[in-house]
Amino acid sequence: MKKFLNNPENFVDEMLEGIYHAHPEVTSVGEDLRCFVRTKPVKGKVGLVTGGGSGHLPLFLGYVGDNMLDGAGVGGVFQSPSSEQVLEVTKYVDQGAGVLYLYGNYSGDLINFDMAGELADFEGIKTATVVGRDDVASSIVGEEHKRRGVAGIFFLYKVAGAAAAQMKPLNEVARLAEKASARTRTIGVALSPCIVPEIGKPSFNLGENEMEIGMGIHGENGITRKNMTPADEVVDEMMVRILAEQSYEVEQDVAVLINGLGATPLEELYVIYRRTAQVLEKAGAVIRHVFIGEFATSMEMAGASISVMQLDDELEPLVAAGANTPFFKHIKRQG
Amino acid sequence: MDYFTSSNIPALFERFSLVFAEQKEALIELDSKVGDSDLGLTMAKGFAAAAAAVLELENADIETQFKTAGVAIARAAPSTMGTLMATGFMRGSGVTKGCETLGTVKLAEFWVAFRDGVAQRGRVQLGDKTVVDVLHPIAETMMIQAKTDTALPDALNSAYVSAVEALEVTKGLVAQHGKAAAFQEKSRGVQDAGSTVAVILVKTMADFICEV
Repeated sequence: MKKFLNNPENFVDEMLEGIYHAHPEVTSVGEDLRCFVRTKPVKGKVGLVTGGGSGHLPLFLGYVGDNMLDGAGVGGVFQSPSSEQVLEVTKYVDQGAGVLYLYGNYSGDLINFDMAGELADFEGIKTATVVGRDDVASSIVGEEHKRRGVAGIFFLYKVAGAAAAQMKPLNEVARLAEKASARTRTIGVALSPCIVPEIGKPSFNLGENEMEIGMGIHGENGITRKNMTPADEVVDEMMVRILAEQSYEVEQDVAVLINGLGATPLEELYVIYRRTAQVLEKAGAVIRHVFIGEFATSMEMAGASISVMQLDDELEPLVAAGANTPFFKHIKRQG
Repeated sequence: MDYFTSSNIPALFERFSLVFAEQKEALIELDSKVGDSDLGLTMAKGFAAAAAAVLELENADIETQFKTAGVAIARAAPSTMGTLMATGFMRGSGVTKGCETLGTVKLAEFWVAFRDGVAQRGRVQLGDKTVVDVLHPIAETMMIQAKTDTALPDALNSAYVSAVEALEVTKGLVAQHGKAAAFQEKSRGVQDAGSTVAVILVKTMADFICEV
């Protein structure tokens, strides 16, 4: 294992110290570095709180900033933050309009965010929850509620962040986030495993010439493991899963996210986007917004994911809105 | 004694705290087989915090005592099991609202709420090889004892016996949740660490009520 590490136990906190030093617009609540918030909360705005394990930067904390999120509970690598940490973030972030929890559909996170919500309720803070469950490979149609949340949660952040910035009330921000969640689909492919610092060796093995379509961002089992094929064929095979669940006949507009898992060059992501656009346009879709880069990684895993959110007149302007966080800058786009 | 009063509850949590401190290493050992070895630690920390928090209360009713204990566990034991135990006490506290004493009937309702709260929060079903597999027979046995008007010490002892039997059954199950789930078939034959915590809870309660 070659990694830039000191004591692996300090990996997450040292990463946080670096981030706080580099970006004074974010800070921690009290002594616990893992309670991550915007330094200046916006009065009267619905607070947006996310959280999850470390090892996925820019996810989750990277989207705390203007027109995006207000706080994040930061867990150990691939571990949920505690309910106490989420509660502390919630209390800081609440500006009287309530708090929306937005996170990925994983059992540890569900338990801790639910508990934080119950504890927040004792303190008179209203919370609501919307989970990202965009990974089509993780459960069949009909069991979408069991699906894992992966890179597509970025669209939920974008939509909810812009809606909250317009000072919409909690139930409305939650409704829009839920709509974004219901309309987002992601499929990933892994080419190599990742290494959790405290474990020090790969969590699974993939043969030299193998890929696994549908693998989760913690190495969860995917749909098929097979030998590598040319990029266009990989994309075609992935897109079949998304096209099976979305039709662009009536609502044509989509936003596309091509996400690198950590070790895949940007060049390859554009090769993937080229074919993705061809497939989508052939299916009748009109690509209104494109995001390409690393949005939800899995340490040094090589691979990529494709996310498609089907837009409507409500969602499109929220995706178009500007945003500014330490890890994500977006200039407002007209039409 | 045939019932708990609010004056017993601080001592009960003191006992939980002592027992989990004693069982810490044994739980760590169990959890290390298919988990991440932190169960013994988080339970000891959680119940120590609960005991301290309940002791600090003055003239509190039973509902407040259980709820305070739950919140204290949630804060001090930031793990899945800690959060689930916290949920159990918080939900259990709800049915004790307005109760000056807890006899077999009310304590049966407490365990039902405890079990339901844990199952709901953990999104767990029977047979998933979790703490719910032991909480369920505890709750059901207590309900049966309540119907037959059994005295509390006998009722809790019966619940303990059913918990021990259920713990034995969990050994044959395959884990569906948490880190243990990654071990799948390897988890078969291994005693579930979370379920063991439920056995300790009911045993401690039974021993306590028999002594006071």
